[in-house]
Amino acid sequence: MPRVTDIACVFRIQLASMRRELGPFLLAALIFPSGMYLFANAVAGAEVRLDQNRLRFLAASIVFSLSLTSLSWLGYLLLENRFTGRLKLFATLPIAPSSYLLGVLVFAIAQAMLGTVSLLLVGRALGVHMQPTFVLLALVIALTILCLCGLGAIVSASARSFSQGSLLTDTLGAGLVLLAPVYYAPEMLPRGARVFAQLLPTSFAARAVLTTLAGGHEIGGDLLALLLTAAVTLTFGFKLMKWRED
Amino acid sequence: MASAFTMTSEVSLSAVREQIKPSRPQEFSGNTPSLAVKVRGLVKRYRDGTEANRHIDLEVRRGEVVTILGPNGAGKTTFLRQLSTELRPTAGSITVFDADAIKEPAHAKRAMGITPQEAGVFERLTVREHFEFFARFKRLPKKAARAAAHEVIADLGLEAETNRRVGTLSGGQRRRILIGLALLGHPPLLVLDEPTTGLDPSSRHAVWRVIRRAVSDGAAVILSTHYMEEAERLSDRIGIIAQGRLVAFGALDELLGRLDRSYRLSYRNPIDPLSETCVRYCVNFAEAQTHVVREKLSEYSIARASLEDVYFTLTGEAFDKDEKGEAACLE
Repeated sequence: MPRVTDIACVFRIQLASMRRELGPFLLAALIFPSGMYLFANAVAGAEVRLDQNRLRFLAASIVFSLSLTSLSWLGYLLLENRFTGRLKLFATLPIAPSSYLLGVLVFAIAQAMLGTVSLLLVGRALGVHMQPTFVLLALVIALTILCLCGLGAIVSASARSFSQGSLLTDTLGAGLVLLAPVYYAPEMLPRGARVFAQLLPTSFAARAVLTTLAGGHEIGGDLLALLLTAAVTLTFGFKLMKWRED
Repeated sequence: MASAFTMTSEVSLSAVREQIKPSRPQEFSGNTPSLAVKVRGLVKRYRDGTEANRHIDLEVRRGEVVTILGPNGAGKTTFLRQLSTELRPTAGSITVFDADAIKEPAHAKRAMGITPQEAGVFERLTVREHFEFFARFKRLPKKAARAAAHEVIADLGLEAETNRRVGTLSGGQRRRILIGLALLGHPPLLVLDEPTTGLDPSSRHAVWRVIRRAVSDGAAVILSTHYMEEAERLSDRIGIIAQGRLVAFGALDELLGRLDRSYRLSYRNPIDPLSETCVRYCVNFAEAQTHVVREKLSEYSIARASLEDVYFTLTGEAFDKDEKGEAACLE
């Protein structure tokens, strides 16, 4: 059974490590997604004047930030723990594997909240008009993070080498946002790719974030999809994680 | 050329061991049983069919150091990984303080401090943070965790590095951190896989000191090493694993007693003084001396056979390549 003290310790280890790597965190959570927001605005040209478009780009950038900080960065961290023998160090301790995973997840969610709030402030500064429903937004962020961390856990547990795993987490981190209709409307995709793209967790996340930023509440379907994806990916990720070898 | 003569008698060896041995174990606090580890019929067969451990039986008592020796790939690490619950055995049983380590690994690990052969540290954490966090994992309250961290840092001579990030430390210092993590909270059983590999002599002595102190407090220690001197100095009993089997297990004197030829004559060929050293095992001192006279040896030494000799005899291993001259001349 997981213990709160163990979860808190795993969380604090990640936090202490992150504090000393604030630069890359800011880059992944804030600077790069902000740049993507500006880029999307520039590409949209005259259409950017529409508030709805600006809001979509902001929602997309929030999802981009979540993807980079959870799938790419935390996936990389899990890979590092596995391939540098840190996981082995945890395995020498009388702690439940679920404590380790929960500590990492709680940290990922906290990190995502921080990144999202920062991006909302950037959005405000850039004149994006929004009426966020914060409780719902927090729920969407948490579920999105659980989905993406689950994917990160699967990649890190099943990768055959560190380089293979880090390539996969990087590619997925950016790819899941660029392939899904996040920065653009689904109609812009070829018909065959449309269904696939809309099934990506980032699609559900972007739609839900956009709705909550606009003050809407109709996100039940997206939340359910995110919840199911999170349950599946986390279960697989946890099962694949080799705490004890056969 | 001047004659060289060295002899290490059994008496002097025992005296040296006595001198450096820890004081006898005191009673360990709590109701922990006197038998720390009980291994029965342990078998580890990997998926490719390799049998890394074959029917190993072994017991470790509280207050003793058991050292496992063996060539690379003999199955030492596999054995310790199973003991530390990291690896699931194919067959057999492991009991740690009456807890079934196979069925209840978490329960068994509560009694253990483990240093794996290879494990990573958190490069961005400081030395102090490492010890404090890991002490908390070992269920020490905050204040006790801080005190335990302080104690281990002092014991392992890491005071100057307390607030340094681990990423900036040397390999030996990192190794000491891994050993320190095992020592946190005074676990009644220490499982240390090659703890002193890569350490300089003074660090090695510091580690020996803390191991001896743990033992004098009543802990049981089971460690593997490639250093014969370490095994001789630290161990109450020594196990030798070869090709997955525990081929010998006992006190040093018992192991030495297994040699029929317990005197070691090392010499150089008198015709070719630049040749490599040769080794001949003799039944007694007189036989060795007879050989010296008959062969007109001028540069030689006679010594009681050591643990190294037992090791080579039991494992059937040739001498290390650096000493191939000896191997070539081995009689």
